[in-house]
Amino acid sequence: MNWKLINALASAGFLAVAVAMQAVYVIDEREQAIITMFGQPLRTVREPGLYLKLPLIHTLQRFDKRVLSSDAQAIEYLTLDKKRVVVDHISRWRIVDPLEFYRTARTEAGAFVRLDDIITGRLREEIAKYPFIDFVREKREAIVAAVTKDAQGLTIEQFGIELIDVRIKRLDLPREVQQSVFARMQAERQRIAKKYRAEGEERAREVRAGASKEAQIIVAKAYEQTQALMGGGDAQATAIYAEAYEKNPELYSFLRRLETYERSLAKDTTIVLDAGSELLKYFERLGPIK
Amino acid sequence: MNGRTDGIMDSLRDDLKGFFKPRMLFTAMGLAGALWLGSGVYMVGPSEQGVVRRFGKEYALTGSGLRYHLPWPIESRDVVDVARVRRVEIGFQTEMGRVKVIEAEALMLTGDENIVSCQLFVQYVIKDPAAFVFRARDPEQVLRTAAEVALRSAAGRNTIDFTMTDGRFQVQEQIKEQLQRLLDAYQTGLLVTEARLLEVDPPQAVQDAFHDVVRAWEDRERLLQEARGFTEDIVPRSRGEAAEMVLKAEAYKEQRVIRAQGEAKRFLEVAAAYAASPVVTRERLYLEVMERILPNAEKIVLPSQSAGSVLPWLPLRALQAPAAASTSPQVKGVTP
Repeated sequence: MNWKLINALASAGFLAVAVAMQAVYVIDEREQAIITMFGQPLRTVREPGLYLKLPLIHTLQRFDKRVLSSDAQAIEYLTLDKKRVVVDHISRWRIVDPLEFYRTARTEAGAFVRLDDIITGRLREEIAKYPFIDFVREKREAIVAAVTKDAQGLTIEQFGIELIDVRIKRLDLPREVQQSVFARMQAERQRIAKKYRAEGEERAREVRAGASKEAQIIVAKAYEQTQALMGGGDAQATAIYAEAYEKNPELYSFLRRLETYERSLAKDTTIVLDAGSELLKYFERLGPIK
Repeated sequence: MNGRTDGIMDSLRDDLKGFFKPRMLFTAMGLAGALWLGSGVYMVGPSEQGVVRRFGKEYALTGSGLRYHLPWPIESRDVVDVARVRRVEIGFQTEMGRVKVIEAEALMLTGDENIVSCQLFVQYVIKDPAAFVFRARDPEQVLRTAAEVALRSAAGRNTIDFTMTDGRFQVQEQIKEQLQRLLDAYQTGLLVTEARLLEVDPPQAVQDAFHDVVRAWEDRERLLQEARGFTEDIVPRSRGEAAEMVLKAEAYKEQRVIRAQGEAKRFLEVAAAYAASPVVTRERLYLEVMERILPNAEKIVLPSQSAGSVLPWLPLRALQAPAAASTSPQVKGVTP
């Protein structure tokens, strides 16, 4: 009797726990859920906590409540100026209406495929509105903002997804085009290098010529000064001579001539002397004493 | 008596049997219960924070120390290290101290349609442990892609030269700022403490051309320096030359004046002496000069009657030196 009682109690307890496990469920901060009855959606549970449901009849379906991300495959797009670009976008989203989500997308993978379709289509339209360089430089934000804004309405209506944003992760040129970009970059660098060298030559020549000019001017100015100085010296000397010789011009004339004779007639000269000249006046005969 | 005793023993055995089994069961249950209760004990390290959930709902944040929460399934916990600085590398990978560049990640378009290779290094901490645990799936992967987004859009906004040289710091700031904005929008609970551009290089294929630009720039500076050197050489030299010329001219002037003064003095002295006895002095001076001239000169003395005409005596040369080739009438400047 004892045994039977224990067995019965244990079985009842076990059953009670099993039923309780079915009736009680916990929703975590990170998740949300829907309750379905025979496949028919009944209600949504979005707040974390401890909840009750009818065991066996009500089925629980959990979904992630966190920010989810999907990284799409990189695809080629065409810009306004018909340039091909390879764009790899990522989108961040969150399930806000699990009921709608469950009805349309069912799983995250399913949602991702549909989301990607919408975003890729909108991106194609937006990218085609701008020339390539604008896209690279400043229109990235504008394009993704426009895509996000348009897609947001669709995703929330159609899949119960709140699209937080779409971002362009990679924006590249197709492989074949990269080579020509490299070639262009090389040409551009060569141009800059040439410019630098030519500029160096330009400025060096200018500096050298400037230096030569300065040097020549310095020397010429010195020459000018020299001439003035020498002229001054000559003039002063002339004045001094003149002042002295002016005192006795006749004597100067006499002395200066004597000097000239001595300097210029001293050597290699044949002098024809008349015996009757003043110098030789006593040579042929003695003259009378005056 | 015996039967009674037997009866007692039997019932005792039965009692024991009945007692033993439930005892084991209770002990086991007690142990399991103790273990269950004990599973709520956890450690929070000095740099950590605990996040406790009660029935799945965020309930408390706990500081460091030995902590307790009610056991599962009532409460559960996550312990997050909030002080540890984590790092992520974009465009490269450090493997045992060696840096390996990941081309697909590193190469990106710049605002002037060039391609540049960037390596970004990001350091971050968890600023909001609750958000980190609850709000975004795989926050660290989110950070990685967000960093790539920020890096690439910053590179796209600026020119290659700006990013590579003067603008590096600014670009870094742009990246950090955008990255933080994205992280906040995605509720990752992460805080970027540093975003640093390690290498910003031209792609391998065009590196030589870029290096040549640097060399060209150096060449330009060198040429300019050489020219400046030339200036510094030639200008002082010519200043020296000019100073020399001027000083020489001054010397000339001075010496001319001094000589003139000397000569004037001499003349005046002579004139003074001459004035005392002009006739004799004149005669003396004349004769002294003649004495100095005549010994060295050829002399031909003609009789006094012939005065006024030397013609009859020409050519004097032939007469005097018949061996001489010249028969010209010149009398001066011909070597005998």
